[in-house]
Amino acid sequence: MGAAVQPIYLFDLAFQRAEWLSVRQTTVAENVANANTPNFRARDVEPFEATLDKTALKMASTNPGHISLASAPVRAEVSGPRSFDITSHGNDVSLEKELIKAGEVSRDYSLNVSIVKSFHRMWMASVKG
Amino acid sequence: MIDPLTASLRVAAAGLEAQSTRMRVVSENLANAQSTGNTPGADPYQRKTITFSSELDRASETSLVKVDRIGRDKAPFKVEYDPDHPAADDSGFVKLPNVNMLIEMADMREANRSYEADLQIVRHSRQMISMTIDLLRNS
Repeated sequence: MGAAVQPIYLFDLAFQRAEWLSVRQTTVAENVANANTPNFRARDVEPFEATLDKTALKMASTNPGHISLASAPVRAEVSGPRSFDITSHGNDVSLEKELIKAGEVSRDYSLNVSIVKSFHRMWMASVKG
Repeated sequence: MIDPLTASLRVAAAGLEAQSTRMRVVSENLANAQSTGNTPGADPYQRKTITFSSELDRASETSLVKVDRIGRDKAPFKVEYDPDHPAADDSGFVKLPNVNMLIEMADMREANRSYEADLQIVRHSRQMISMTIDLLRNS
C-alpha cells in the first residue's frame, strides 16, 4: 500500500520547517515590494506550530490512486488588526518590521540547515560504523 | 507551483523595477523644474506622478507590484513676472512648472529606502538558497 519508505522523522520535520520558512520569506518579499502600493495590507503566514498541528491529522492515503495532500503549501493569511501605522492611502506595511522578519527567517533557516547537516553526519556515522 | 524562494526573488525584482521607475519620474520632474513653454501664454512642464498597484502573479501565486499609472499633477502653476520671457503672456506673467523640490526630494528618499529594502530581501533569499545548496556540498 502506498509508499513503502516512511520519511525519517527529523528530516521530514526539517523539510516542513524549511518549506514554511521559504513561504514566509515570499510573504515578506510581497509586503516589501508592495510597501508603496495604495490599499495594500501586510500579510503573514500562520505560525509554524499551527501548521504542524494541522499536518499531524493528515489524511492517510489507503489507495495508490489517492491524491497526496502533503505538498499543499502553507497559505498566506491576512495579518488582521495587529498592524499599526496605516498611512492615508490605506497601506500598513512597515519596512522595519518586515526586515526584522526577514532577518528572523534567515536565522531560523540557517539553524534548520545546521540541524539537518549535523543529523545527517550522525546518521552517516551510524551507517558507516 | 514555483519554489517559494525563487518566487520571493521574483517579487523583490518587481519591487526593484517599480521603485526605479519611480526614481525615473522623480528625475524627470527635477530635470524639468524650470522648463517653461516657448510661445506666449503657453503651459510649462506639468509635474508627473506615479501610482503602484499590486498584481497577482498566477504562476507563483504571489502578489507582485507594478506601475499602475504615470499621471499628471493638476496643481496650479507658479506665476512669475518676467515680460521679456518668450512664454510671457500679455500682462508679462510667465507660468513656471508646478514642481516642488522638497516634495521631489522626499519622494526620492522614499524610493531609495524601498529599493534598499527590496535589495535586502534579494540578499536574504539568495543566502537561503545557497545555504540549501551547501547542504549537498558538505555531506
